[in-house]
Amino acid sequence: MIRAPALRPPTDHPLMKKNKQEEGSIKINRREFSLGSGAFTMAFLLGDGVINLTPAEAKTRKIPFRSLDQKQVSTLDFLSDAIVPGAKSAGLSHFIDHQLSAAYEDNLLILRYLRVNPPFKNFYASALKAFERSVRLKYNKSPLDLSEAEISEFISIMMQNNPAGWPETEQKSEQGPPPAPFFYFVLRSDAIDVTYGTMSSFDSMDIPYMAHIAPSHPWEAPS
Amino acid sequence: MKNQTDVIIVGSGAAGSLMAAKLSEAGKKVTILEAGPERRLEDLTSSQIHARRLKWGGAPVEENGKQPIGNVFNSGYGTGGSALHHYAVWPRLHVEDFKVKSLYSRAVDWPIAYDDIRPYYDKIQQEVGISGDHAAEIWRPKGDPYPLPPVPAFQQSEIIARGFAKLGKRTSPLPLAINSRDYQGRTACLWDGWCDAGCPTRALASPLAHYLPKAIKQDVNIIHNAAVTRILTDKSGKKAIGVHYHDKDDAEIILMADVVILAAYAIQNPRLLLNSADGGLANRSGLVGAYIMSHAAALVYGLFDQETDPYMGATGGQMLNQDSYDHKDQRIKGFGSYQWMIAQAVKPNDLLGYGGSNPGLYGAKLTEFMARAAHHFGTMTACVEDLPLQENHVKLSSKKDKFGIPLAHVHHTSHADSYALWQGAKQEGIEIFKAAGATEFWNGPLGPMHIMGGTIMGDTAENSVTNSYGQCHDIDNLFIAGPGLFPTSGGVNPTFTVHALTLRSSEYILNNWSGVIS
Repeated sequence: MIRAPALRPPTDHPLMKKNKQEEGSIKINRREFSLGSGAFTMAFLLGDGVINLTPAEAKTRKIPFRSLDQKQVSTLDFLSDAIVPGAKSAGLSHFIDHQLSAAYEDNLLILRYLRVNPPFKNFYASALKAFERSVRLKYNKSPLDLSEAEISEFISIMMQNNPAGWPETEQKSEQGPPPAPFFYFVLRSDAIDVTYGTMSSFDSMDIPYMAHIAPSHPWEAPS
Repeated sequence: MKNQTDVIIVGSGAAGSLMAAKLSEAGKKVTILEAGPERRLEDLTSSQIHARRLKWGGAPVEENGKQPIGNVFNSGYGTGGSALHHYAVWPRLHVEDFKVKSLYSRAVDWPIAYDDIRPYYDKIQQEVGISGDHAAEIWRPKGDPYPLPPVPAFQQSEIIARGFAKLGKRTSPLPLAINSRDYQGRTACLWDGWCDAGCPTRALASPLAHYLPKAIKQDVNIIHNAAVTRILTDKSGKKAIGVHYHDKDDAEIILMADVVILAAYAIQNPRLLLNSADGGLANRSGLVGAYIMSHAAALVYGLFDQETDPYMGATGGQMLNQDSYDHKDQRIKGFGSYQWMIAQAVKPNDLLGYGGSNPGLYGAKLTEFMARAAHHFGTMTACVEDLPLQENHVKLSSKKDKFGIPLAHVHHTSHADSYALWQGAKQEGIEIFKAAGATEFWNGPLGPMHIMGGTIMGDTAENSVTNSYGQCHDIDNLFIAGPGLFPTSGGVNPTFTVHALTLRSSEYILNNWSGVIS
């Protein structure tokens, strides 16, 4: 078959222009939609009102957590940032915490794809507990006190098997923690979502986002 | 509360929307009951995270077996159903897909042959628009040329295609129900790779883009958040008279109709039938729920020295190879057919993103990988046939939803020959990537792709649930539409065939209306 030479992304691609704000930020070229209309926002209660924030902004403003306690947040931040550097500042804990109280049909956690039925709170709570227990058993100290080499070593173990002290349960169990490799995969995916799935992270990787309808509140860390 | 309509359609996806358009255009009063919420084009945010709202969000489905079918990822919820987030890869089934038992003494035959469905493939592609190159697609069975020129080839597909060529394998443009130029009042695609999040521009032929607007123009009534619990029959049990559902306020509604059509996909259709009568409605065969199938996705990933621009194109891919399709008994491993969909447009995150492709990477190595993959990543996917097994089934769970209806429990374990076929495809994919010059290459795990079967069509009430028109053997005015009718899966994406079968069924219903409702 005869084909024309492979195409490269055109520099005048209409959606690239839009992303770079060269055509204004309201109307999509050749399209009828307003940017951001009807898109999801993360609504946080603050005082008497509700405000829309990115997870990173929620973290910076220290928005109270709804489902996770402070110890769980600290552990989640520590582990996720070791797996996906940048996850903590991207607001992973606030993202997960917010979604744990979202209705199933609106839930944005990747867990819904992975044959785990709601509610999801125990999935994270039980896994974090198992993580702490296994770390203490192996290193005789709190996870937050692990050195960079130690947490890296532990991650290399948990991605393959349940570490010593991690209870053996079925992946879909509603009682005990998920297997460590499965929890690793889920948390890694969550962390990649908030760290790399945003408009600003596309920019940082020099990838054109090319949104037809951009997320109403881009999940980007405040400068 | 009781109401009356000519036709009730349960589900607003590919089959339901097409059926609604055709029946309403012929003058029938149609009501669609959609389990999920209303979705509008302007809701389709370009984000892999936001895209998750389009997936199944109704009553949880229990899954087990060695290769679970992945209901949530493969199903839809809300206007447009799963076709709202489908990738619009629209190849045809091949001639031998319809005669697997006759030709190979394996699986089952369809009650129709390719020639029976060919005219409907041709009509649909003309109505909807498919971009492709029928001459280059040398494996394609007979049919009219595509109405639209092929999709463009970006760097990623050109680079991978060299690997196919070096091994003596052929490639063609991938047939996509995505406009390569303006067609039927819908604009051309911009190749930005957001198909999974739903296409708000209408370049991709989702129900929201094509058939639902036609149905709405005919005053088809779509009721959202309508959870259908039972199909109602007369005292004889041989005639459907309507359905029972809960509305968005949890009120119980009975809607009466002359014809009931179940188009709620391959899991919820059998769940509804099984919950509608002791032993299941329309279940003289005992096969309601049986023969659930899911294509096995063989995922191949690689990094290349050249820039691949992996963010450009369509989520379904850019090129096609079907060298391993016909002659199902001539594979290196296993039995069946598969096709390669080459060069999917990929984003950094989500299940199909490059970030998830290599889960062994973490920390600084992951950071390094993400930066390189953003511009040098390549991927392709084989859609691998899943031989039907009666023991792969939908049954009712002991657990119930909020309305007291048993959940669907789905068991699926691949046939040994289908699993072997998947393994062979994976290995072939690695060889192709090596030949294409990938500096690193690896496979992903088996991913379930599409859901078929569960209410299969056939010649008799002993070996199937419906006839070739989706009409239940036991109840003349009760029809099934969608991929649940497939007796075998073939190795191609099902949505084009769903459209062709549904168009054929709609004509049958209209041509035999008085007989159907008598």
